[in-house]
Parts: sequence; C-alpha cells; structure tokens
Amino acid sequence: MNAKSGVSTLRRRRMDGWRWGGRIFLLFMLIYTAVPMVWMLLTSIKSGFAAMAFPPEWWPSEPTLASYRNLLDPENSVGRDFLRFFWNSLVVSTLTTILAVLVAVPAAYAFSRFRFPGRRFLFFSVLLRNMFPAVIFLVPLFILMRFLGLVNTHGSLVLTYLTFGLPLAIWLLKGFYDNIPVQLEQAARIDGATRLQAFVLIVMPLSVPGIIATAIYSFIGAWNEYIYAYTFLSKNEQLTLPVGVQRFFSENTTDFPGLMAASFMMSVPVVVLFLVLQKYFVRALTEGAVKH
Amino acid sequence: MTQLKSGCAVACGTIAPVLMASLLSTSALAEPPVDLSKWSPEYVRSIAGTEEFDTAEACGKVTPLDYKGRLTFWYQGVFEGDPDLLRQYYKDFFESFRKTYPNIQLEEQALTYNDLLDKFRTALIGNAAPMAVRLQILGGTEFASKGYLEPLKPEDVGWSTEDFWPGAMKAVTWDGVGYGIPTNNETMALIWNADIFKRAGLDPDKAPATWDDVVTYSKQIHDKLGVAGYGLVARKNAGNTPYRFMPQLWGYGGGVFDEADPSPNYGEIRLNSEASKRALQASYDMYVRDKSVPVSALTNQQADNQPLFLAGQLGMMISHPSDYNVMLDLQKKAAGADKEKAQTVIDNMRYGLVPTGPDGKRAVVFGGSNIHILKPEYVDGGKVDEPAAKAIICFWTSPEWSLKMAYAGSNPGNLNGFKTKWMKERLDNIKFLDVTTSMLPYGIPFPALPQAPEIMNIIIPDMMQNALTGAMTVDQAADDAAKKVKELMGGGL
Repeated sequence: MNAKSGVSTLRRRRMDGWRWGGRIFLLFMLIYTAVPMVWMLLTSIKSGFAAMAFPPEWWPSEPTLASYRNLLDPENSVGRDFLRFFWNSLVVSTLTTILAVLVAVPAAYAFSRFRFPGRRFLFFSVLLRNMFPAVIFLVPLFILMRFLGLVNTHGSLVLTYLTFGLPLAIWLLKGFYDNIPVQLEQAARIDGATRLQAFVLIVMPLSVPGIIATAIYSFIGAWNEYIYAYTFLSKNEQLTLPVGVQRFFSENTTDFPGLMAASFMMSVPVVVLFLVLQKYFVRALTEGAVKH
Repeated sequence: MTQLKSGCAVACGTIAPVLMASLLSTSALAEPPVDLSKWSPEYVRSIAGTEEFDTAEACGKVTPLDYKGRLTFWYQGVFEGDPDLLRQYYKDFFESFRKTYPNIQLEEQALTYNDLLDKFRTALIGNAAPMAVRLQILGGTEFASKGYLEPLKPEDVGWSTEDFWPGAMKAVTWDGVGYGIPTNNETMALIWNADIFKRAGLDPDKAPATWDDVVTYSKQIHDKLGVAGYGLVARKNAGNTPYRFMPQLWGYGGGVFDEADPSPNYGEIRLNSEASKRALQASYDMYVRDKSVPVSALTNQQADNQPLFLAGQLGMMISHPSDYNVMLDLQKKAAGADKEKAQTVIDNMRYGLVPTGPDGKRAVVFGGSNIHILKPEYVDGGKVDEPAAKAIICFWTSPEWSLKMAYAGSNPGNLNGFKTKWMKERLDNIKFLDVTTSMLPYGIPFPALPQAPEIMNIIIPDMMQNALTGAMTVDQAADDAAKKVKELMGGGL
C-alpha cells in the first residue's frame, strides 16, 4: 500500500466515522419523533384498563378497535360529534389555506418585484402580529369578532388564522420570488405579455413549490389551532377537532384510548398532505435559501 | 315548597333540612356538634324512597309546559371518561326536558371542568355569554359580585330555600341577595388500595386516622414497594387542587381565613398561621423529604392520579365514589386477562373518612355546582328568555334530576332528592356512597367571596408549588401566599 492510498483510506475512514455518527444521530432523531406516534397508535388499540396498566404493555395483549369504531360510527353521539368536528376542521383549514394563498401570492410578488415608499416598513410590519403570543390578542379579537357578528361562526376562525398565517406565507413566498430571475418576466414582456400574463404564465408555474409549502404551513397552522377555536366557538355543531378532543378529558378521569384514537385520526390529513407534497415543501425551503 | 305526594313527607321534609342547616352552618370538628344519629347513612337510608315527585307538574307551575321560547345554556359536561351511568342520565335529562318543553328551543353546550370558568369569563367580556349557566360552586359569588347575574332564589323556580343546604346557598349569595341555585353538593372521601396496604405492612382495612398518618403511611408504602403512597395534587388553575389540599389545611387547624369557624367573617387571613404551615409542611414532607408521592404531583390533577391508582402504583387518594363506577366500566370493557386484573383492583378499593388533623379536626370541602341566569346585556343577542331559563333550572334542581345528575359521585342539591326512589336505588348500586354521605357533616364551603376562585385556584397551588419546588421555604411560601391574599382582598393583584 503506497502513501497516497494510505491517506485516502484514512480520509475514507474518517468520513465513514462522520457518516456513521450522522446515521446514529438520525436514527436517534427518528426514534425520538416516531416513538410518541407509535405509542399513541398502540394506546388507541388498548382497552381503557390496559391503557393504564403498569408496567405498560408495549404490545396490547387484547388489541381492540373499539375506540376507532366509536369515533367513526355516525350512529352514536361520540362518532357523530367526532365526524362533525373533523368536517369543521377541514372546512376551516381549507378555507384558511385558500385565502392565505390567494392573498399571499400577489402580496409577496409585490414585495419582491415592486419598489414603493414604505415597502421595507410594510414588509416587516406584517410580521408584527407574529411577534406576540397568541393569547395577547385573544380578548381583543373576541370583542372584534363579536362586533362583526362572527362569534360562533367559522368565519371568525378563518379571519383570525389569516392574521398569523398570512405574514409567514408572505415572507416564505417573497423569498421564493426573489430567486426567480426577473429576466424571465422581462423576456415574456418583450414577447408581448402583460405584467399579469407574465406573472400568471411565467412566475406562477415556477413558484408552485413555494405556493404548496405556503399552503401546507397555513393548513397545519389552522388544523392544529386550539385557543381561538376554543374561545370563539360555543356551539357543539361548530367546534373544530382540537377543541373537540377535549371531551376525552373529564374532571376526574381521562379516556386514554379514545383520546389517542382521536389524536391519531386527527394527524392523518396532515401526514398525508405532507407525504404527498413533501418534495415541493423541501424544495421551497431550500430554494428560498440560495441566491441565484 | 315542592309538590309532595306522600303523606309522611311533610314531617321528613322539614326535619332533614333543619338538620342540614345546623350541620353545615357549624364548624367541622372530629365530633360534629350536631346530632349525627339523625344525619347518618342510616338516616339517609330511612328517608330514601319515601316520597314521589312529579317534576313536570312542579316545573309547569313555574313555566307553562307549552311555553314557546329559546334558551342558550352552558354547563360542566360529562364526557367519555365519566361513568356510563352518569352519561346516560345527562342524555336522559336533556331528552326529558325537550319532551316536557317541546316548544323551547334549547341550545346547550357542555364544557370541560377546567375550562368552564375561563371560557365563561371571556364570553362575559365580549357580551357573548349564554342565558343560563351551571358553574362550579366557586364561581357564584365572583360573577354575582361583578353584576353579571340576575337575582335568583329557589322560590323563583318553584322550590323553597329550605330545600337546599345552607352552606350551598351561601355560595350563591352576595350582599344578602341570592344569585343562583345549587344543583349538587359533594363531599369526598379517602380511597386506598387494600393490597398495597397489606404488602406495605399496613392494616389493609384501616384508613389512616390522621394527616400525620397519611405522611407516615405514604412513606412506608413508598419505601417498601417503590410506588407512590399518597396522590398529592398541586396543579395550578385546576379545581382538583383546593379540593384535596383544603381538607388537609383545615384538618391541621389552618385556613385561608376563618372559613372553618362556626360563623366566619373572612376578616382574618390565616394562611400563614402555624397550623396552616404545619399542613403545608406535611405536603413538603411527602414530596420533598420522603419523595413518597408522584413526582408529577406539581402538574397532576385527579385525572392523573386515577390511572396510577388503578394500575396499583398509588396507595391512597381523595376522590368521589364515582371512581368506583369508573372502575366498573373499565372492567366491563376490558377483555381476557385484563378483566380479572380489573376485578382485583375493584376488590382492593376501600373508602374511608378523610383523616383528621393532629387535634382531631376532620374537614372536607363542601363542593358542588350552582345554576344561574345571566343579565341580558352580557348575553349573546342581548336578550334572556327568563321563563325558558327558569324551566331548565327548575328541572335540573328538582328532587328527581338533582339526584339523577349527581348519581355516581355526588349528592343532590335539592334535599328532597334524598327521599326519591332513585336515592334508594342509588344506595344499593353505588358502593361506598355511605362513606361520602358520612363526610357531609364535616363539609366546609369555600369562602363565599368573589376572590375565592383566584385564591383557591391560583394562590393556594402557587403556595404549594413554591414550597415543593424549593423556590421558597414552607414559611416563606405561606407568608407569600398570605400576602397575596391580603393584596387581593385589598383590591390589588
């Protein structure tokens, strides 16, 4: 073995060490994030008594789908409520997402491409809302919604979620537009396209990953939100899932399998959405980070 | 007065309330200064099933049964984890109300125990409250003093003030005016696991007699078996905490004020008295010195103790008889070997009186809930349908429904509920009911002050957490809490 190959082997070994270290770290992170989900799933298929057993049963000796049957059966009150809450969450989150994208896309484009007085100030001021804890705005927003006649409507939630979802969406998309070369639009304009046509036909298709990432952010934010939904809605038929799953907690007891089954079902749309669209999501995050 | 159908009812109906009145207006000592031979489990058994009541007939006199209206109503609901039996009664209640008053459009909303007060407060700020609300006993004076509630007394809904516990009526009275009606009243008991006691070398059938014994037993259980001895809870902004700490505080002779005295006037703050500090020291000894309670006690509430107890990881806790029913439900739904294990837990459950302090004082929180009507200006829509509100209040506080809605774990707010056939049935079905009934004479109501929720749900748990986390010594924590109460009473905080 000559000296050159010796150095190369040593470097490879060092690299292998780092690689293995990275793999172990990733494995640890995987366990760290996946175990709670697995535990949630396992608890959801236990009976109430088995869920409280100590030492805990890692795999239930008597697995049961009773909690899921309960949740998905529209014939019983639990199932009826759960399915209604699920639908309400879906409506609120979808509406929030659509509106967030509709407003954020042109707003971010404007911040990226136009130069106008107060642009910088406005751009930073959209973030102002997100610099404070949500609870600070709870009572003022509640009074505002009451004034607007929106208490006990899903409109109050959509409007509120937009107040903290939009700034993030605008910032995310602006970074994305900054990385789309302006020359592409200029070329389209030279070819006779109007600004709107250049935006719709050239910029929009290129910004699909960014728009999808924005949509996922908005959807997850609205899907998981609890405190505003809890405060603004007082009618059972209007409640969303995060508030609805509260019914598994009582004054002196908790229905753990029911709670875990509901939580698992609640995580399904978000996980599916993320799995289907993850390549766009990752692309949007990385593209916004690099200047071309 | 209630419609009584049985002949002997009048005599029974007058004796019991008078006895109750004397019971609950007096101090809670180991030897109750009332004739317990009358108000004993035997007495309750003797009056159970002696009278019949017609709820629809009685409430029809308050609000005609064909009345057409609309009512929004919030209440602390029962949910999936609660005993099936109780959930069924809640379902039956609303069905029965709708059947009796088919023209009242009822929009009811169940809220969870820990969230109800906060959500209600927010709704009031936005003038979006419901027309009627059923709140924990602590809420009555707070909202009455702030002017949110309409005056309301039992006579307004067809009952008599004497039909309700005087201690409970006090909790809905502010400045001499009644603002609500008690729906149910409760006193808890000590529950222990006989098997754990036996394995720890303790008498499996004997409850600890004093709070000092609780500390000793808890340590012995932890040292011998490695499981938690006593189910201490110190969570902030959770009603479970004062319900479990106040009996200890009063037992040692302490108090926030003089609420455990025969005629309290809440003038003197006693939270930093030597007796109060001894009570706090007992919690400190269990949590810090002996480490014999769950390490998560600082954020635990009763719902966290229950799984530990059922899994054989906790020796003692304070709770309702409803825990027994929860266990029965779990056993019913368990499969295979779990069914047997669950039965073993049930067989090992024991209920006893809450321990006394070193001087023999025994006390328990006289808890429960009240029902109220809101003033129109705070209600969503600016209108209150008073006849509709009175109809549901009459219904809930009737002997029949105040008993049924408290079936598994509490006592009827309307004392005539004790005389119904459902009480008789309940005595046969709900094991350990006698024990909690025996605790009634020792019940002490929370101070009937608007500041009581802040004191009980925030200052008391804060005091415990300050001492148990070592942020302050026991003395400092008690002094700090007393100072906060003083500031609060002076209009500060």
